[in-house]
This record gives sequence, C-alpha cells and structure tokens, in this order.
Amino acid sequence: MSTRTESVDLVGDEAATNLARAALFAALVGAFAYVTFPNPVSPVSVTLQVLGVFLAGIYLGPVWGPAALSLYLVAGALGAPVFEGGSAGVGQLVGQSAGYLWSYPLAASVVGAVVHRGTTLRDPASVGVATLVAAMVLGIVAVYALGVAGLMLVLSLGPIEAVTVGAVAFLPAEALKVAAAVGIVRSDAITAA
Amino acid sequence: MTLAYVPGDSLAHRLDPRTKLLVQIGFAAAAYAHTTPRELAALTLLAGGCLWAADGDLADLWTYRVAFPVLLLAPLVAGATIESPWFRLDRAAETALASYRVLLLLVVAAAYVRSTPIRDSRAALQRTVPGRAGAFLGAGVALVFRFLPLLRRDLLAAREAVCARGGGQLPARERMRLIAIAGTNRAFGRADRLGTALAARCFAWNPTLPRLSFGPADYLALALGAGLFAVAATAAL
Repeated sequence: MSTRTESVDLVGDEAATNLARAALFAALVGAFAYVTFPNPVSPVSVTLQVLGVFLAGIYLGPVWGPAALSLYLVAGALGAPVFEGGSAGVGQLVGQSAGYLWSYPLAASVVGAVVHRGTTLRDPASVGVATLVAAMVLGIVAVYALGVAGLMLVLSLGPIEAVTVGAVAFLPAEALKVAAAVGIVRSDAITAA
Repeated sequence: MTLAYVPGDSLAHRLDPRTKLLVQIGFAAAAYAHTTPRELAALTLLAGGCLWAADGDLADLWTYRVAFPVLLLAPLVAGATIESPWFRLDRAAETALASYRVLLLLVVAAAYVRSTPIRDSRAALQRTVPGRAGAFLGAGVALVFRFLPLLRRDLLAAREAVCARGGGQLPARERMRLIAIAGTNRAFGRADRLGTALAARCFAWNPTLPRLSFGPADYLALALGAGLFAVAATAAL
C-alpha cells in the first residue's frame, strides 16, 4: 500500500473567521426566507431576505457582504433550500426571480460601500441615520431595478407590466425593513459585530 | 414539503454532478433561444425525462409554489390594456409561453436537487472553480447547508419568544427588528465559534474531496448538454 503525502495549505485565522461569518450570514439570509410578515398593502406576504441583504452590507462591509450573498446564491443553486418559500435549484437563478437574486450581492456591496465609505470597516452604530437610510434606499433601487429588468427579460413583459407584477405590491414593505434595520443598528444590540 | 436530496440509484443519481450542471445550463440556453409552442413541447419531454431519470415526480414542484402566482399573473397583466381592445391575446400568449418556459427550468433544477448530495455538489464546484475562490465557495456552501437548519430554528425560537411576550401587539417593524437582532446575534456567535474551531483544526485551502469521475452515461449526458447549447446557438444564427 502506497502512502501519499501532500502539504497542507492552512487558512489564516482572520480568513477562517471571515469565511465563517460570510457562510453564516448566507445561511441567515436563507433562514430569513422562511420568516414571513403580512404585507401592509397586499395579500402577498413579505419575507426578510432583503433585510438580510442590508445587514450583510452593514455588518460585513462592501467586500465580505457580497461574498456572503454570492455564497447564498451558489448554495441555493446547488440545492440548499434558501430561496423564497424554501425552494432551491439553478432554475431560480435563470427564472422569474433571477433579477432579484442576482441583485443581492450588488445591493450588499452598495449598502456596505455607502455605510463604510470604503473597504475599511467602521462601527455601524457611529454612522448617521441619514447615511444608513440613503445606503439602504440605494440598495432597494439596485434590487428592484435588476428585479424588474429580470422580469422584463424572462417573462417578455413591458416596463409598466413588470413593475405591476414585481414591485408595486412589495415596495411599501421595504420601508418597514429600512426602519427595522435602522432600529437594529442604532440600538447597538448586535453584540458580536 | 421542501425539495431536497433523496438517496437513490436512479440514472441521474449515478451521473457526475458536473454533467448535470452542464445539462441544466444547456437546457436554459435552449429554452431561452426557442420559444415556439412546438419547441417548448419538445423541451417539455426533455424536462420530464430529466425528472423521471431522477426518480422524481410532479410533487417535487410543490416547493416552487411561491413562484406560481407570478407565473400565472404575468400573462394576464401582459395582455391587459387600458383602452380598447382591453385584452390582447397575442401579448398574453407570448408571456404565457415565457412563464411556461420558467416552469420547465424549475423542473430540470428539481431533478438536479433531488439526485445530487451536497458533498458531490461541493466537490464539483471546487474542481470546476480554480484556486482559493473555488475553495472559498466549496467550504462556504458546505457550511450554508450545515447551518441553515440551526439558524432556522434560532429564528423560530425568537419568533415564539416574541409572541409569548405579547409581541403580536407590536407593529410589524418592531417585530422584524427583534427577530432580526436575535438571528444576527446568533449567526455572529456561531460564526465566531466556528472560525476559532476551524483554525484550531487546521482548516486548509486544499481539503480532501470525494472522488468524481465520468462514466459512460456521463458522456451521453455531456453530449446532450453540448447538443442543447448547439440548439440554442442555431437560434442566434
């Protein structure tokens, strides 16, 4: 019996922690897909995924935030039940929700870049409310711009039709998520950040 | 019911995950390139064949139920107009075909999810994406699969705790805040313990992955995937 030896290329402590945080945040966004709240303006309930995208940008920053959301997309494509309603598979990344899903890493990087003003992280609790809200509004613009564009491409809809199907019923609920995210950051309740 | 890997010995279970991923992407390319009813009928047979090869059935599609309202509503919205003739059948039919195409993509994806264990998916990912990016994606994806049930349980516990303390009376914004704080704190706590444990146990960029190899059936399926790309390319010419 032959013995094979290979050198082991160890991951550094900081990289290991960052990888663990990115993976756990990806799983958290997936778990948020199961938490539904009644929508104030529509019978379609809303989930907390987009709040997870905001929090990834705010707490992980413009580099590891998008990395976490990329992991979320890859894990979902390979079968982790992390997409809306606990669904999974490559079909979601090329189907009617494609625009929304592909926008998540971009939105997290936008939120992270505005909140941290660069790649060096700063304490989110020290960031002003106006900056936080502006960052998340830009994030929402990214999510819905790509989401609506995805609906237009995938379902052959015109712009107004795509907004009717994919944005009108959901946009008001985003205001609740922005308010919740500001409350989370300002209350300084996240202990491990 | 959640769509998940089901152990088995079907044709799809025996295929290499890389083959199955190529077939899925080829199928999507072909479905976007060819959208006439006749072409979609041919793709329906192929999608059904994929699900059958994975021992799946239509019940597996129930996991995609949240997508159905949008897929059903889209043709109605596309056909509606604000003036006479009020409803244009040609526009509605175009979007209905596009909605149906999305359904076919979901069927093929369900066949992959049913027939591929996460270890194999991870190995396929790590062998396809080179270097540390591949190692990051592989390890990260494995951790997402591992921790998703735990974080779901954390969030459920938080939700029950909020309800038990009369949280049902609070505004939605406040309930969202409480549940998200609990979930994020748990996720960070778990991540930091996990990071320390990974470092302590010599977490490496080059782990030992399960063996993957192409068998005779894989070459046939790879030819199918390549054929689908060729079919998609013919529409572009």
